[in-house]
Amino acid sequence: MRTKRADTVAAYLFLLPFLVLLLIFFVFATGRAVYFSFTDYDLFRPPNWVGLRNYAALFADALFLSALRNSILFAVIVTAVQTFLALVMAAVLNQRVRGIGFFRAAFYMPSITSSVVITLIFLWMFQRRGLINYLTETLQRHLPVLLAFLLVLIAVQVVQVAWERRSALPATWTDPALFVVSLLVAFGATWLLVTTGVVAPRDVAPVDFIWLQTRDTIPSGAPFWLSVPIPLAAIMIQNVFTTIPTFMLMYLAALQDVPKSHYEAASIDGANATQQFLRITIPSVAPVTFLVLTLSMIGTLQMFDQVAIFGDAAPLRSVVTLAYFVYDRMFPGAQTPEVGFAAAGAMFLAVLTLVVVLLQRRLVRSEGH
Amino acid sequence: MRRILAIVLATALIGGAFAQQIRIMGYGGQDPAILVRLLDEVIGAELAAEGITLTYEPLEGDYNAALFNALSAGTAADIFYIPVETAPGIIATGKVLALDGLFDTAPFIDSLVEAYTVDGSVYGIAKDFNTLAIHYNTDLFDEAGVAYPDASDTWATFADKLRAVAALDADVYGTCFPAGFDRFGAFAFATGWQPFDADGHTDLLDPAFVEAVTWYTDLVREGVAIQPSDIGQGWTGGCFATDDVAIAIEGAWMLGFLRNEAPNLQYGTTFMPIGPSGERGNFLYTVAYGINTDSPNRAAALRVLEAITGPAAQQWVLEQGLAIPSRTALADNPFFLEGTPEAIANRVVFEGAADGHVLGFQFGNIGTDWMTPVNDALVAIMTGQATVDEALTEAQRDLNALIERAR
Amino acid sequence: MRAAATRLGAAEQRALEHWQARRRWARAGLVYAVMLAFAIVFVGPLLFAAVSSLRTDPLEYPPSLAIPQLQPSNWAAAARLGQAGAGDRWFGGFAPGATVPFEIAYFVPDGVDVTDPDVEVPRRRPGAGLGAVLAIEYAADFASVSELQRLPDVPMTVESGDGTTSGRRVAYAFTIRYQGDGPVIDRLPLDVTAAVGMQYLDSTLTASRLERRGRTASFNDVAPGVLGYVLRNYVRVFNEVRSPATRQSLFLAWIGNSFAFAAVRIVVTLVIASMAGYALARLRFRGREAIFMLVLFSQMVPLQVLFISNYLVLRDGILTVGGFTLSSLWGFPDGMLNSLTGLVFVTALNAGAVFIMKQFFESIPREVEEAAMIDGANHWRRYWNVVLPMARPALGALTILTFQGAWNDFFWPFIVLTSPENVKTLPIGLLSFRNTYGAVGDWGLILAGAVMSAIPVIILFVVFQRYFMEGVSFGGGKE
Repeated sequence: MRTKRADTVAAYLFLLPFLVLLLIFFVFATGRAVYFSFTDYDLFRPPNWVGLRNYAALFADALFLSALRNSILFAVIVTAVQTFLALVMAAVLNQRVRGIGFFRAAFYMPSITSSVVITLIFLWMFQRRGLINYLTETLQRHLPVLLAFLLVLIAVQVVQVAWERRSALPATWTDPALFVVSLLVAFGATWLLVTTGVVAPRDVAPVDFIWLQTRDTIPSGAPFWLSVPIPLAAIMIQNVFTTIPTFMLMYLAALQDVPKSHYEAASIDGANATQQFLRITIPSVAPVTFLVLTLSMIGTLQMFDQVAIFGDAAPLRSVVTLAYFVYDRMFPGAQTPEVGFAAAGAMFLAVLTLVVVLLQRRLVRSEGH
Repeated sequence: MRRILAIVLATALIGGAFAQQIRIMGYGGQDPAILVRLLDEVIGAELAAEGITLTYEPLEGDYNAALFNALSAGTAADIFYIPVETAPGIIATGKVLALDGLFDTAPFIDSLVEAYTVDGSVYGIAKDFNTLAIHYNTDLFDEAGVAYPDASDTWATFADKLRAVAALDADVYGTCFPAGFDRFGAFAFATGWQPFDADGHTDLLDPAFVEAVTWYTDLVREGVAIQPSDIGQGWTGGCFATDDVAIAIEGAWMLGFLRNEAPNLQYGTTFMPIGPSGERGNFLYTVAYGINTDSPNRAAALRVLEAITGPAAQQWVLEQGLAIPSRTALADNPFFLEGTPEAIANRVVFEGAADGHVLGFQFGNIGTDWMTPVNDALVAIMTGQATVDEALTEAQRDLNALIERAR
Repeated sequence: MRAAATRLGAAEQRALEHWQARRRWARAGLVYAVMLAFAIVFVGPLLFAAVSSLRTDPLEYPPSLAIPQLQPSNWAAAARLGQAGAGDRWFGGFAPGATVPFEIAYFVPDGVDVTDPDVEVPRRRPGAGLGAVLAIEYAADFASVSELQRLPDVPMTVESGDGTTSGRRVAYAFTIRYQGDGPVIDRLPLDVTAAVGMQYLDSTLTASRLERRGRTASFNDVAPGVLGYVLRNYVRVFNEVRSPATRQSLFLAWIGNSFAFAAVRIVVTLVIASMAGYALARLRFRGREAIFMLVLFSQMVPLQVLFISNYLVLRDGILTVGGFTLSSLWGFPDGMLNSLTGLVFVTALNAGAVFIMKQFFESIPREVEEAAMIDGANHWRRYWNVVLPMARPALGALTILTFQGAWNDFFWPFIVLTSPENVKTLPIGLLSFRNTYGAVGDWGLILAGAVMSAIPVIILFVVFQRYFMEGVSFGGGKE
C-alpha cells in the first residue's frame, strides 16, 4: 500500500508539467469558451450573460449557414473521395517490387510540405490563366487523339484476348502481357493517324474557368444545402491531393499484411480483379478504413488554413468553414469582435465533431457484431 | 579624453531622459514607404531634436482585424490609423483618446472632422481623404478614336463612350465594375438616394436605388463593363494597369499603384458622370490618426500627431502626389494647377469632395458588414442568377436582420 | 477453369508456365509505369512551381518550361552585361565608369513608317509594399543613353494566324553610360517605347514584359549578371523585403524564428511527453484512467474552441490580477502575444506526443526496469538512467515529427504573431508575401519564398524517411 502511494506521488510529479498545461490550455480553455458562448463578450468590455441568444443568432446568420453548409459538404465529399482513391491506389501499388521506397517517398512529398506552401502553389495554379486551366484546355484540344488511342487500345486488346482464348489459354480481359502489346500497338497507330492527318487536335475555345473570384456553385443553381461553391471545390481538390498519400501509405501497410494466398485462392476460383478488390481487399482493411474515415472527418471538419491563406482571393462566403467562422467573428475586421457569438459557433463545431466520431464508432461496433 | 567621455555621458543622459519612442500602426502596401520618407525628409529632424523617435508598424492583410487584436492585447501603438468605415466600432472600444481641448481641429475640413465625432467628442484627425474619379487610358481611347470622357458626361453619354471603346477589341472592356457597394454606392448617391433614413433604416427598394442598380448591372450584362474577378483581377486598378479596360473608377490611391505596376501607362482623369438627379454622386473615404488611451507617452504622441498632420507634412505629401491633404488651407495649393496627369487626378479627386451628393464611407456600428447583402445582390444580378427585384428583396430581408442584431 | 487446367498435358503445362511468367513480367512493368505516373502527379506541382519561380512573371500564359531564364543565350548575355555594368558577371550592377551596350530589334511590316524608339532609364522602385520602404539610389540619376545607331535592315516575313506579313527587321544599338561618380547601383531598368505598328522581336536580353499594348519593351535590369538574372526572384526575397524599422531582411528573420521555435518546441515536447508518457505507461495510480481519457479526448476538440480562451491567456500573460501580470516574472509585462515565448507556451500541450511516448514505453519489457528496481533506484533514476536511454528511437522519431510540425505550423503562429513583421515564422511571413505581392500579381517572389521554405523539411525527409513513415503508423501524421 505504501509503494502505491509513493507511486501516486511520483506519477503526479512526472505528470506535473503536462497536467498544468492541460489544465490551463485545455480544461480551463474549454470551460471558458462554454461560458463565453452565453455572454456578449467583445474583448473590451466585461462579459454580460445573455443566455441562449448567441445560439439562436447563429441560425439567423447568413455567414454561419454558409460555413455550416461548406463544412459539411467539404467533410463528406473530401472524406469519401480521398478514402476511396487512397484505397484504390494502395490496391494498385500493393506489389512487392524493387525500389518501392523511392516511389513511396515521392508520393509522400505533398504531405510533408506545409499547408502554406502547398496552398500558395495551388492558389497560383488556380489563377484564371494558370496551370489547371491550361491543362484542361490541352486535354480538350487533344481529346480526338486520346479517343482514337483508347479505341485502338481496346480493340487490339479484345482481338488478342479472343485469339488466346481460342488457343485454350486462360487469358482475362485485363491480361497484363497482352495489355503491354496493346499499348504499343495503340501508340504506334495513334502516331500514324496524327502524322497522316486523319486525327488531329481540334480547335477549342481557351478554357477560362474562374476558380477563385466567383460566387458560382457546382452544380450551378442547385439548392443552397447541395451546392458546392467553386472556390471550395478548388480547396477540395487541393486537400484530396495532399492527403491521399498519407492514407494510401496507411492502407498499403495494412495490405502488405494480407496473405497473398487469399488472392491466389480467389483467382483460382475465377474472381477477377474487381471482385478480388470487393471480396478480399475491402474487408481485410476495414480497421484501417475506420481510422482513415475518423482522421479524415476530424481533419476536414476543422479545415482552416486554406481559407485563411486564400484570404481575399475568393469571396468569404464561398470558402468559409465553421473553423474559420469562429476566427472571423473573434477578429471580424469590419466591426467590434463578437467573442460570445464566436464561442457559440465553436461549441457547435466541437459538438459536431464529437457526434461524428461517436457515430462512426457506434457504426463500427454494430458492424463488428 | 575626459571631455569626450563627458559628452558621451551627457548625450546618453539627455537621450535617456527625453528619448521617447512613438510607434505608429497603419496600413501595409504603399504606406510604409510614404511614412518613412515623410520622416526622413520632412518631420524626422524636428522631432528628433525634441527627443522623439518614430517607428512605423505596417499591419499587412486585414488591417481592421489586426488593429482590434492589438487594441485588445494592449500592444497597439501610441498612434494608429482609424479607417472611417470602422471608426464607430474602434471608438466604441474605449481605447481611443478624445481630443477635446488637446488638439485644434479648426484647420481641418469639417466633414472629415465630423466623421470622427461621437457624442460631441473628436477622436481622430484625418490624415488625408479620397473620392472617386474617372481615370481613362488615353492609348485605348486614341486607338478607338473615341472622345475622352469629360466633366459634362451624363450616365447616358458616359455609357456610349464605354461601348465605343469596348468595340475596339474582344479583350478590351469599357470598364471594370466590381460587385461592391464601395464603388457602386457613388452611382446610387447620384440618384439622390441615401443609405440610412432618420430611423437608421435602409430602403433598397426605393425606385432611385433600383434605377442605379439597373444601370450599373446592365452595363456588365451587356459585356461593356466587366467584374474584375472575371478577368482574374482583384480590383479595378488591376484591370486598368494591364490595359484590359479603358476606364477605371477609383480614387487617388490608384496613382501610386500605377507608378509601380504600370509606369508607362498614359492616362487622364475627370469627374464622375452626372446622374439622373442632375448631380454627381461620390464617396468620401478617409483615414485618421487616433491616439491610444493607454499610451505611456501621451504628450509626445500629441506632439507627433501635430507634426504629422501639420501644414509642412501635408504640403510634402501632396507635392509628392501621395495623398490629398485634409487641411482647408491647402485647397489653393499651386501643385493642383500643374499640368501633369497626377496633379490633374489629385485636383479632380479633391474637388470631387464638394461636388454633388457626397457621402462618407461609413455604416454606423454595423461597419462594412452592411455592404454584404447589397454586394450579394449585385453579384446575383450581374451573373443573371436573379432579377433586380428578386435580388434586392432578398438583400433587404438580410439587411433588416443585420440591423436588428446590431441594436 | 480449374477443370481446363487439369486436362492439360505436360508440354502444355510448360507452355502455360511460360505464358504465366510472361504475364508476371508485364505486370511488373505496368506497376512501375503506374507508380511513375502517380509520382509525377504528386511531385509535379512542386517541381513546376520551383521552375516557374525563376520566371519574371509566373502567371504568363500559356505556362511552359521554355522560359527565358533557362536559355543559355540569355545566360551569356546576362554575364556579359553584368561584366559591362559593374565588372561582376554573377550579380551585375551599375558602377561608375560603366558602359553597357544594348541592341533591340523590331519587325516593321511593309507600309509602316519607321520612327526611332524612345529609350529611357526609368526611376522605378523595386517591388511593392514591404520592398518599397528602402530609400534606394536610382540608376536613372546617373545613366545617360547614347544616340541610337540604326543597324542595317534585314527583309523578313512573319507568320501569324491571318497569313504571312512581309516587312523587315529594324534593329538599333545604343549604350548606357554611367555619368560622373556615385554609388554602385543594384539594378539598371530600361524602357524602350516604339511607334504604333512596330513589333518587338528580340533584344540582347529578352524583355521582362511588354506594356502599352506592346509598344513599350520594359526590362527590369539590363546589367543583371547570370545569378542576378536567373535567380532574380530569390535575390529579391532577401533584398527587397525588409523591416521598415530596422531595414533587416525579413525573410532571414522569419527563417531564424522558425528554427528557434522548432528547436525550443522539440526540447519542450521531448521533456514533457517522455515524463508524462512514462508515468502513464509504468506507474499505477489513482486517476490514471481519467487522465488518459482526457489525453484522448483533448485530441478531438477543435483548436478553434480552445483558441478563444488561450488567446486571452497569452494576452493577459497567463494571469493578471490587480495590475500584476504573471508573465512579467519572465520578462513579459505586457502579455505574451507577438512573441515566440508565447507561441511555445500555447503549443506546449501536445497530447499526441504523450500518447506516442506512452505506447513506446509500454513496449519496453518490464524486466529491464525491475532489475533496476531491485537496486533500489527511485522512479526518477529508473526513468532517467534505464528507460529513457532505451527510448532513443522513439525520441528520435518524435524529434523529427515535432520539427516538421513546428516548421509547418500555421494556426497558432497565425493567431499569436501578427505584428511587427519580424516576429513572424516562415509560414506566416509567406502569408504576408501573399497579401502584399499577390494583390499586384507578383507571383515570382511568392513562389521563390515558398520553394525556399519547403527545402529544410524536404531535406529532413530525405535523410530521415523512416521516421516519417513511422509517424504515419502512429496516427496519420496529419497536422
